[in-house]
Amino acid sequence: MTEEISLNINDNKLIEISRVLGIGLNLEEMHKIRDYFYSEKRNPRDIELQAVGQAWSEHCSYKSSKSILKKFIFGIKAKQNLLVIEEDAGVVDFNKNYAYVVALESHNHPSAIEPYGGAATGIGGILRDVVCMGAKPIALVDPLFFGDLNFDYKKLPKGVKHPKFIQSGVIAGIRDYGNRVGVPTIAGMVYYDVSYLTNCLVNVGCIGIVRKNRIISSKISKKGKKGDVFLLLGGRTGRDGIHGVTFASAELNEKSEKEDRSAVQVGNPIIKEPLTHVCLEAVEKNLVKAMKDLGGGGLSCCVDEMAYPNFGAVVNLENVLLKERDMKPWEIWVSESQERMMMLLDRKKVDKVTDICDLWDIEYSIIGEITENKRIKVDYHGKTILDMDIKFLVEPPVYNRPHTVKNLKEREKETKEPAYEKTILKILSSPNIRSKAFVIQQYDHEVGARTITKPLQGKIESLTHSDSVIIKPLSKEYKGIAIAADSNPSLMKISPYWGAKYIMDEVCRNIVSSGAEPHSFADCLNFGNPEKPERMGEFYEACKGLGEFAKALGVPFVSGNVSFYNESEYYSVIPTPVVLGLGIIDDIRKSIRTDFKRNGDLIYLIGDIKKEMAGSEYYKLYGYDFGYIPKCDPDELKNKIKAILETKKIIKACHDVSNGGLVVTVCEMMIGGNIGVSLDLSKIEMRTDYKLFSESSCFVCEIRERDFEEFEEIMKKNNVKFHRIGRVSGSRLKIIDKEKSIILSLREIKEAFL
Amino acid sequence: MIAILRMEGTNNEDDIYNAFAALKCPVEMVHLKQFTGGAKKELQKNIFDYEGIMIPGGFSAGDYIRAGAIFGARLKKISKELKEFVKEGRIIGGICNGFQVLTEVGLLPGINDIIVSKPQISLAVNDSAKFECRHVFLKHENKCFFTEKYEKSEIIQVPIAHAEGKFITSKRILEELKENNQIIFRYVNRAGNYAGYPFNPNGSMENIAGISNLEGNVFGMMPHPERVFYPYLHQEKKKVGDGKRFFESIIKYLRRGV
Repeated sequence: MTEEISLNINDNKLIEISRVLGIGLNLEEMHKIRDYFYSEKRNPRDIELQAVGQAWSEHCSYKSSKSILKKFIFGIKAKQNLLVIEEDAGVVDFNKNYAYVVALESHNHPSAIEPYGGAATGIGGILRDVVCMGAKPIALVDPLFFGDLNFDYKKLPKGVKHPKFIQSGVIAGIRDYGNRVGVPTIAGMVYYDVSYLTNCLVNVGCIGIVRKNRIISSKISKKGKKGDVFLLLGGRTGRDGIHGVTFASAELNEKSEKEDRSAVQVGNPIIKEPLTHVCLEAVEKNLVKAMKDLGGGGLSCCVDEMAYPNFGAVVNLENVLLKERDMKPWEIWVSESQERMMMLLDRKKVDKVTDICDLWDIEYSIIGEITENKRIKVDYHGKTILDMDIKFLVEPPVYNRPHTVKNLKEREKETKEPAYEKTILKILSSPNIRSKAFVIQQYDHEVGARTITKPLQGKIESLTHSDSVIIKPLSKEYKGIAIAADSNPSLMKISPYWGAKYIMDEVCRNIVSSGAEPHSFADCLNFGNPEKPERMGEFYEACKGLGEFAKALGVPFVSGNVSFYNESEYYSVIPTPVVLGLGIIDDIRKSIRTDFKRNGDLIYLIGDIKKEMAGSEYYKLYGYDFGYIPKCDPDELKNKIKAILETKKIIKACHDVSNGGLVVTVCEMMIGGNIGVSLDLSKIEMRTDYKLFSESSCFVCEIRERDFEEFEEIMKKNNVKFHRIGRVSGSRLKIIDKEKSIILSLREIKEAFL
Repeated sequence: MIAILRMEGTNNEDDIYNAFAALKCPVEMVHLKQFTGGAKKELQKNIFDYEGIMIPGGFSAGDYIRAGAIFGARLKKISKELKEFVKEGRIIGGICNGFQVLTEVGLLPGINDIIVSKPQISLAVNDSAKFECRHVFLKHENKCFFTEKYEKSEIIQVPIAHAEGKFITSKRILEELKENNQIIFRYVNRAGNYAGYPFNPNGSMENIAGISNLEGNVFGMMPHPERVFYPYLHQEKKKVGDGKRFFESIIKYLRRGV
């Protein structure tokens, strides 16, 4: 049943034990465990080593990232912070009685092995992170990164699945799970680069809403009392999802397909949906003392983290309902099977909760209770098989790993001006720019009847991209939340520091374009192997950029996740921090959309457009690997934010300039409005291609002619540069730049983009 | 009182509930088990305590076999009561998955018999072979008790969100539906013409989006009026939500007295 393992052996054998048990601990950590059991005066059992392996995995413990996160990301003070960083999700002030809840994490490794199941259970996991705070999930977000879709099948490394297969599986997984649980999938991104060939990135985010007096912590507060019971409810425990966290804390290789398949869980949205009803009803009736979902590390991490630091726990493992009969105790203890939640209840209130379970046909069992001695004890059919100090488990070693930072060397070179019409169409049709309707429309983004500005905006028969999506969380209140998710791999590749700042700037631009004000951030940091100093250097620089920018804005990071080891012997992913931005709009009826509205309206370019071409779609198209990178300044952004929000009521359409530059922004706005423009860029002093394709921090706004004085005045007052660049008109893109003229029909533009 | 019938996987019940509640119409969530048995005794409910039943959208029981099949099969346990319910002039409506349930349980098309034992209509996999969520144009072809407040031939904008919404039936039933004015909504383009994909989002026969029974008190449609109850939920700017009159029509009918 359980096996006693002697650690009184040489170092090689210690490492061998870590490998054979699949717990992924290094020698130093194995020494710490040996010392611990030496102090307990006995040998450990397999289940005890497994428990440590889970708790100390990179995925659960953040042992490589914690010190850097503390330095840059954590601790940004803001009055909206209610319960941030500490829990499964961040809780942020929304209005007098309500808070919103944000969670963002990765499901990269499972999705690389089993795209459909990996992505689906990613959604499942992030929903539980929100529900376990007592919150109702109201929106899902999913930024995705895949290898080049045209990658030659013959050159695919052994054991690697083709990006086309991965993409279709991941999208189907998100669709089939998200649509079934009835939470709208409203934002995200899809990005392609060969560096994601062996490690796709599947990030999932969820936003929820909770009444402030119903926020539930995962930690058992001092109000807990001896004898309070753990009720495990939802799905049964099986062999799916064994070692999910340790597998996510190592590089993938060609054997992963075979060896790690069982690390991927199997999702069941039709347990999740009623399980969510049960949890929220129990919370609403004030029956729950603490609640936590079962995710990485299974029961082991869940019970440890709930009890610590105020209590201990004793668990009767035979009471766990199983999917299969002959599971070993350690398998039950670490299995990451989906759709499970743990509640801590007063024994007298158990019946009230189980009555709700019965109506929804949700299974449950009492598996243990809390104790005052701060130990975790697991009994199995009358025999104690795990008995450890809880602090030893939940306070793993923290590392300050060596990191090296690459110096940024920038230079620009002379290039020839391109054939404009052809270049514009090529950029519009490039995989990273073109319409993502084929993904977005497969997700139900309307369920819940609270999606105010849509992920695709404009006319029903001519839809375009949005900047952010606005959700109305409460039926009786017009206040809304704007949601946008962003990353910028092509800038991150050149400079993790400036790339990170650009991402922050862009996510804020996206929020502001809809008429909302940035309010909080969540981050999902996808990087390579942290044991390599250059990867750690990328991580350090990126965190520095994100943190500095957020601090300067005074907007906090409230939740996040780190995913390391996104690399194989072939590729390491471009350092990819994904930032989820949340904004507040006081009245959703005043939100702004991206589509041009009316013939004759004026078009303005807001912001300082510069020759910052490195990493732009334009330079990438022509293979130019030089140029200056955009250097976003939070103070300049603050002015722009202020100016846009002050003029919000007269802005008819707004869209930020990002990938592809000004011309892509304008084309997207034309498509949504199903209408043309006539632009004259002569007054901006730069070569035409730099004006059209620079990705500097800017916005494009549509204004009625009668409002232009007020608009310009407010821009000036806020020290914001602006150019009046033309009018909404006709059904063509017509650009004049001194003697040059560029003309494309709306039909050609749509054909390239759609 | 209106009952909104839910089970595991129905997930649009809140939206319908909120619509009725906003119009101050008495409304209650009822789990299917509370009608068909299986819930605790004190939780059991009698369908005749309600004037109307709405079946919401979602993925009841996961819809893994065929959309609405399991919900329909479970609902059949009270076929006799349902027949009586409809006969008395009470109303039953189904939106999206609810429409699929009504065809599975045999309450639609409701031409000669109130309820038929074998489904006569199928809402099959979309021609595009995928789930699609977007706003579409609908033409109000004929009135029923659920659409009394819309003008005949009026064009409204309503979102769809389904993978199985392709309306298929036999030639005979199609002819009867037409003859009896049972076709309530059809998919059209902005100008109001029948225009094929993408305006007809799923390949439905004759662009059919929603039908009623002969009496007009049982109704099903694939698009979601509850998702455009308010003007700000529309894809394009509107002064009033196009879905609002759907609920007002139902309430008007109920207030006429059952």
